[in-house]
Amino acid sequence: MDYAWDFGAINRYWSVLWNGLVVTFQLAGISLLAGLALGLFVGMMRFAKSPVLTWPAAVYIEVFRNSPVLVQLVWFYYAFPVLIDTTMSAFMAAVLALSFNTSAFSAELFRGGIQSIDTGQWEAGRALGMRGPTLMRRIILPQAIRRMIPPLTGRAIELTKMTALASTIAVPELLYQGKLINAVTFRPIETYTVVAVIYLVLLWSGTLLVDRVERRLGRSDAWNR
Amino acid sequence: MESVTPVLTLEGIHKTFGGHHVLKGIDLEIRTGQTVVIIGASGSGKSTLLRCINFLEHPDAGRVLLAGEPIGRTVRGRSGERLVVHERELSEVRRRVGMVFQHFNLFPHMTAVQNVMEGPTSVLRLSREEAHARAHENLAKVGLSDKADQYPSRLSGGQQQRVAIARALAMQPDVMLFDEPTSALDPELVGEVLLVMRDLSVEGMTMVVVTHEMGFAFAAADHVIFLHEGLVHEEGSPEAVLREPQRERTRTFLRGLEHL
Repeated sequence: MDYAWDFGAINRYWSVLWNGLVVTFQLAGISLLAGLALGLFVGMMRFAKSPVLTWPAAVYIEVFRNSPVLVQLVWFYYAFPVLIDTTMSAFMAAVLALSFNTSAFSAELFRGGIQSIDTGQWEAGRALGMRGPTLMRRIILPQAIRRMIPPLTGRAIELTKMTALASTIAVPELLYQGKLINAVTFRPIETYTVVAVIYLVLLWSGTLLVDRVERRLGRSDAWNR
Repeated sequence: MESVTPVLTLEGIHKTFGGHHVLKGIDLEIRTGQTVVIIGASGSGKSTLLRCINFLEHPDAGRVLLAGEPIGRTVRGRSGERLVVHERELSEVRRRVGMVFQHFNLFPHMTAVQNVMEGPTSVLRLSREEAHARAHENLAKVGLSDKADQYPSRLSGGQQQRVAIARALAMQPDVMLFDEPTSALDPELVGEVLLVMRDLSVEGMTMVVVTHEMGFAFAAADHVIFLHEGLVHEEGSPEAVLREPQRERTRTFLRGLEHL
């Protein structure tokens, strides 16, 4: 193909992309933290003795795991505010959708991590007279969370990718800013190539970091069995 | 005989697992300072019996009394009588009854000294200084002062089990339960654990020990109980039960051990 590449055309718009990158980070960061906190809560509910707690938790998890993230985004932006009779910024709607989605995912991780702990650990704690919350906080969770770190860091990268979906509801994140630039420069090839490369660099370095953390956890097996 | 209240009394303990009647009514009295050894073939219910004492298994019927006080209360329900024990009381019972497990069950994310401090700090609410002092005392008692800052994965099986003993001792329990404490150990590591247990027994710790180590039973036990098919089949002094068993099942079991 005979195409004259001209990155000069988008040179003036680096700050626009930078702003988008910041929003991408904010969206991913807030959703990850909120999702983890909520996920711990929902994950704990699944261990409750009463079905009044375990059932809603199970339904919640399945709802968010078994519908497309894009649909969740659209629903939280267009439907949810009408339902509760309020207005909501696109950013807020995206944070809600991605946080809930992440919480459902991490609730299952917490549950799996906790279940993977040997029954002997529970018994040893109980035999000392520990009760539920103390046992969980002092003995079970520290071991479970360590096992959860690799899948959780993987999830953080997935979540960062998902933030691009928020461009469909006009959240000014990286991809959306790219669309804006394209609308004025009519340079889709250069614009979207740059956007893609930024994502690539960002996510690749993230992946490398995750690999390192994982290798570190595997090696410093001070208490790995 | 003396009329002192037994530290621990079991009355008519029954336990069924999915239709399998493991314990069929066990009565037992343990007095302060006694070392009672429970022997029996695998599947005879000896571990289950031990675990019913601190309610890691909930007995289906019967009562457990700690220093004469019954644990929990019996409730009459549609399906007969049922023993109900509240969380708070369970915790109270377990801090007075220490347990040592076959597979040690040390907390792998804590060093030896942290393992021993955990109960005193998070259950007894001792200050870190007090708990630390108590932990070092107990690690010294099991001969592991120099391993205080090691993680369990860096310790041999025998050392891990000694840390587990120190962890239980740090709660200053009235009774210590040992559930086959040497069965998971390499043969050359069994001795160091039995030695610690013998010292405890001599010091007057009240102990209930499930074991296959007849040497230990002979040397340390005040009373030996042979369990067979969920019942106390024969009991008495170690000499009586181990040297001159009266019943055929006991003889067969002991003969089987000699061939190991």
